[in-house]
Amino acid sequence: MVENDFDRPGASPENASTAHSTARGLDAETAAEQPTAAAVESSVAETPTTESNAGDSSASHPSSERQSAGGSTAAESTNGIISARDLDVYYGDERALRDVSIEIRSERVTAIIGPSGCGKSTFLRCFNRMNDLIQSARVDGRVEFEGTNIYDDDVDPVALRRRIGMVFQQPNPFPKSIFDNVAYGLRTQDDTENLDERVERALKRAALWDEVEGDLDKSALDLSGGQQQRLCTARAIAVDPDIILMDEPASALDPIATSKIEDLIEELAEDYTVVIVTHNMQQAARISDRTAVFLTGGELVEYGDTDQIFENPESDRVEDYITGKFG
Amino acid sequence: MAQEQSAGSGQGFAGDSGVSRIRGRVFEWLTLGATVFGLVMVTALLAYVFNDAIRPFSADPLWHLVYATTVVLPALVLLATYYTSDEPAGEVAIASTGIPIVGLVAGSGLVVLFIELLTPADWFGLVVGLVCAAAVVRLHQLTRPNAAVERLFVIVLAPLLAITGIPAMNIQRTFSSPLTTTEIVTIDAATPSLLPSVGDVLRPLLTAVPGWVLLVAAVTLPVATLFGRQVAARRGDGRGVREVVVGSVGLVAVGSLVAPLFGLAPQHWVLLATTAVLPTGVYLEGVVRRRTGVLGVAFPIVLGAGLVLGTALTNAFGLAGPSSWIGWDFLTSPTSITPEDAGIYPPLVGSVLMLVVIITLVFPIGVGAAIYLEEYAPKTGARGRLVELIEINIGNLAGVPSVVYGLLGLGLFVKGIGLDSGIVIVGGLTVGLLILPIVIISAQEAVRAVPDSLRRASYGMGATKWQTTRNVVLPRALPGILTGTILALGRAIGETAPLLMIGAAASVRLAPNGFFDKFSAMPRQIFAWSSEFDPDFRFGVLAAGVVTLLLVLLLMNGTAILIRNRYQRSD
Ligand SMILES: Nc1ncnc2c1ncn2[C@@H]1O[C@H](COP(=O)(O)OP(=O)(O)OP(=O)(O)O)[C@@H](O)[C@H]1O
Ligand SMILES: [Mg+2]
Repeated sequence: MVENDFDRPGASPENASTAHSTARGLDAETAAEQPTAAAVESSVAETPTTESNAGDSSASHPSSERQSAGGSTAAESTNGIISARDLDVYYGDERALRDVSIEIRSERVTAIIGPSGCGKSTFLRCFNRMNDLIQSARVDGRVEFEGTNIYDDDVDPVALRRRIGMVFQQPNPFPKSIFDNVAYGLRTQDDTENLDERVERALKRAALWDEVEGDLDKSALDLSGGQQQRLCTARAIAVDPDIILMDEPASALDPIATSKIEDLIEELAEDYTVVIVTHNMQQAARISDRTAVFLTGGELVEYGDTDQIFENPESDRVEDYITGKFG
Repeated sequence: MAQEQSAGSGQGFAGDSGVSRIRGRVFEWLTLGATVFGLVMVTALLAYVFNDAIRPFSADPLWHLVYATTVVLPALVLLATYYTSDEPAGEVAIASTGIPIVGLVAGSGLVVLFIELLTPADWFGLVVGLVCAAAVVRLHQLTRPNAAVERLFVIVLAPLLAITGIPAMNIQRTFSSPLTTTEIVTIDAATPSLLPSVGDVLRPLLTAVPGWVLLVAAVTLPVATLFGRQVAARRGDGRGVREVVVGSVGLVAVGSLVAPLFGLAPQHWVLLATTAVLPTGVYLEGVVRRRTGVLGVAFPIVLGAGLVLGTALTNAFGLAGPSSWIGWDFLTSPTSITPEDAGIYPPLVGSVLMLVVIITLVFPIGVGAAIYLEEYAPKTGARGRLVELIEINIGNLAGVPSVVYGLLGLGLFVKGIGLDSGIVIVGGLTVGLLILPIVIISAQEAVRAVPDSLRRASYGMGATKWQTTRNVVLPRALPGILTGTILALGRAIGETAPLLMIGAAASVRLAPNGFFDKFSAMPRQIFAWSSEFDPDFRFGVLAAGVVTLLLVLLLMNGTAILIRNRYQRSD
């Protein structure tokens, strides 16, 4: 019962069409949430361009090809998919996040930037409860995904993580073959129908297929760092999650590999919601639709459209940080 | 030196740097001295023992000369060329010589087991039983995929029932209070056998089948399948399983028809071929395919040819070899009142059987405990402190003197459960307890060495703790776990004090035929020889026993190193 809390009704492609109406199953709730979400946003930062932006994006993504989650309509694509309310994180007695409230938009790239140690990784880990694995970490507040607080006692983090995947800073492929790496998630979920096909699809989406086709039995450790990182991305999207969290996915890579990862992220945003932590301001400006700026002490100082954040930030501190005077 | 110091004295910390440099030198020399001293002492002792056991100087000097020119010289020359010009070939040379030797010894161990303990039909029944059990578990998984607790029962019970059935029980035992020795309860119950084991069912059907056929089916076939999978995985194209299986089974089967011509029983050939010939073949296949160090294969060939040539020459010229205490007769006969006839066979078998008990006891419990402590146990709070206390105590237990474990075994298994003193299973359980903490600690070490990033990757994919442990942590930690376990087993095989405490016999004429037989183990026998009156026992036979023990140890440790190297390279 608990296990099923976040199990997608339309997990397998065959069900996709029937799942259409039920997959989200909370249109009413999402609609009801709209005002609150807006309130959250405006409390953090004014977002004057919201309306026009919404119009833009629905035009640029007229028909999403999303097979799994079903009801992906133009109207929905501006919806928040996951939101944090008054989130505090403590490591022992040390407070790493302060009162963070944010709403992440569906099928957009949201960049999280900020100086080192300001709690970006900590914040990202809150979304799929990876902080649970850190003994000393304690999370206060709510993170709402599909109308449920994921920190409720009856939520199974394992089921949650199947819907919210993660790519880490250092490429960390398993010491197994390329195929086994990508198939790992599907196998752990006992979902091995059309395994070959789905592995191939994931590798293609991660822009790695052309380089490894025919070598799927080779050890993943024989790949280059950039290829490994794309493999880790393929591994994460193979289980077809709703959200992909990426913690500085390109920081260990050279410029060419980095630009490949960036292209990949932009591609992914057509079907997935991507939240990416980055140290690289230009990268954030290039690839993200929305940007959240954290500053030292774990505070979310500003959150809004990327263009606006980079061109006309509200806060002087953010301006100083972005222009390199601080941080 | 002086220049350095005068140059440095201008600076604030110059005075100190001179002193600390001298201190560093002294420390370096002291540690070097200690190391050299230790090495020299051990080497001297070993040389002494080996000299006593082998007595190389009793041989004709010409005998030495012949073997030096046919075997030692070519081997050294080859090794020198490998390590100066083609290092991978050196590795290949060592491995392609070591694998068949280790395989032969392991195979001899199996041969001994099949002589003393098992019939091929027993083993066949066991394997078929396990296969049936695996099928039942699989079936359960398919029909009721969500019944986890039920599956646990199936996983435990299916193999148990397949192997033992429900045997007839006949318990007659009186339990008395340890303090007052008054009787508490007397159980006298007998039940008939309710369910025959798979082996019992098969046995009457198998009487007409020759033993070697059963062994090919129940030993060679599974081993060849494993190797085939490995070869297929290494080639990277997933092919070759069938080739390897058909090839190996064919080779072994044909060999069993030829083996009797060379005085080798077909059953024994099957075992030796499976443990020595197959792994060597698979290794060589890999070498040839990788095309690195192929020249190393020459080494075992040159060595073998040299031995044959040397033997032919010494026979032709009637050159006498050394009259060693250790030799084939020593390994295959029981001890005797005359030192010349004394041998170590029954205690050797005893040690091997004891090792079997130890492995089945210690490996699952030790690895299980290590995984629990590292992956599952709470690390914080009151329960975390309890776990910490337990871990500290495991460390302490690893340091408890072995004689105390002997006492524990005596109290627990002999006086407590009421097993006979001095039988194999009591010895195995006692020594097993002794090395259990060592196995736990080394397995913990191996599990801890698995990078956290892999665990995070697995959890991040939505794997459960068990899936992460099973699919990521265990495979990665296994080489380390195996190495640690084998080293601990090496310690187990040399333990003497616990055997004295649980009453293992000083010497037995007959090797034990089962786990409930009286036995003696190698160190116990060696200890017994050390108090014989005849100096030939105390020096010659004893030295031969020690050398046997050391060789077994060396082989076990060599295997551990092979495993470690193999997996390190594949990372
Ligand atoms: N596992 C942990 N245990 C204790 N404290 C931690 C842990 N992880 C992070 N912290 C603390 O929390 C704060 C935020 O760390 P976090 O890793 O989230 O920062 P970050 O913004 O990702 O930094 P960077 O850009 O360097 O990766 C830091 O002060 C850090 O010391
Ligand atoms: Mg970080």
